[in-house]
Amino acid sequence: MEIVVPGEMILDKPIHMENTFIENEKTYAAVLGVFDREKKTLIPLEGLWYPKHGELVVGIITEERPNSYVVDLNAPYKGILIAKYVRDRLSVGDIIEATVKELDETKTVVLMREKKLYGGKIIDVKPSKVPRIIGRNNTMIKQLVEGTKSTIVVGMNGRIWIKGGDIALTTEAILRIQDEAHTSGLTDRIREMLEKSKTTKSE
Amino acid sequence: MEANKPKLIVDGKRLDGRDFDELRPIKIEAGVLKNADGSAYLEWGKNKVFAAVYGPREALPKHTADPERAVIKCRYAMAPFSSLEEHGRSGPNRRAIEISKVTKEVFENVIMGENFPGTEISIFIEVVQSDGGTRAAGITAAAVALATSGIPMRDLPFAVSAGKIGDHVVIDLNKIEDNYSDADVPIAISPRTGEILLLQMDGSLTREEFKEAVAKVKKAGQVISKIQREALKAPYEKISNKYK
Repeated sequence: MEIVVPGEMILDKPIHMENTFIENEKTYAAVLGVFDREKKTLIPLEGLWYPKHGELVVGIITEERPNSYVVDLNAPYKGILIAKYVRDRLSVGDIIEATVKELDETKTVVLMREKKLYGGKIIDVKPSKVPRIIGRNNTMIKQLVEGTKSTIVVGMNGRIWIKGGDIALTTEAILRIQDEAHTSGLTDRIREMLEKSKTTKSE
Repeated sequence: MEANKPKLIVDGKRLDGRDFDELRPIKIEAGVLKNADGSAYLEWGKNKVFAAVYGPREALPKHTADPERAVIKCRYAMAPFSSLEEHGRSGPNRRAIEISKVTKEVFENVIMGENFPGTEISIFIEVVQSDGGTRAAGITAAAVALATSGIPMRDLPFAVSAGKIGDHVVIDLNKIEDNYSDADVPIAISPRTGEILLLQMDGSLTREEFKEAVAKVKKAGQVISKIQREALKAPYEKISNKYK
């Protein structure tokens, strides 16, 4: 694991990876990110969210139109829900989780399968850190849910909805994951943190 | 004017005590502005520069959008209080528009804009305090700001000016040297390939002097590039070192 900057040569042979480019038979980093030499991956440390089909997002209704709802996604793109397919009646300020159907030609994120989220709390994190908050095979998020008894919905757009359980601890843990996303052994440190708070509480 | 010209080299040293190819101290801090997608703050001698990056976002007005790549927009501005002289008045003037254009062209060569058709990437460079060489400082800061925004780039360009004082080719001119030197040549370079991305010249140099100037800029660039890379890595390494 090493931190690389744009233009830095990472391999002296051409290997196609995301967030890199190849020139003169050599591979260079195109973004500020963490390069894993063994797994041959370059994970960006910063960056905006680019919607992909099938991704889960958390949004806030900002506008009601005759045939649709406009959804704020904390992203450079606006979300839209076609009212025809919406089951509940939604109003401005409602929080929803939804799935991305497509990014249409007007750069609007068309959403589907929405579900209204009642109550709870929202925190915004950097979208580039979301994979770490979920963890490989959902390990991190499972551990969080077990440790805090909160209900958590993680949107790929970097917006997280939390309800119930120890909300303060959940928030603290998520923000810590965001800050330390590029370090190794993070899952263990978060487990320790959750266990420690459990013991101090039961005393 | 010639009569009032101050002596720029005394005992083989420049006015601020530097050698001919010595840079002023440079300090860069990455990610200083929360609202921007990417940002950097740079101190280069007495120059103080903020750079902020927004995007890729919808290109507005719409007719500026390019269906094949992201358009780069750049705004260089000096704060009205940035300089002791009158050219630091606020708002875009002839000079600011020119610098915005050449800066934009530097970054058009390194940003991989083909990934984001129809969008714009805006670069803002705000000079808070100036002491010569602000366009070079602006480009150096904007490169770091772009990297912190996560926009894919082919390289991290740097810029620095070369110049001529009397018979000497010097590097990184400050305000007073800039005003009274025989030549001022700001150069931006892509350090990976050595390509020149910006080259302007005030005054005149001979062929040999010009070659010497480019060579000195490339050499100084190694130092600047290192500071840029360290500024980007520092906030992350600080955290990873804690858990080593």
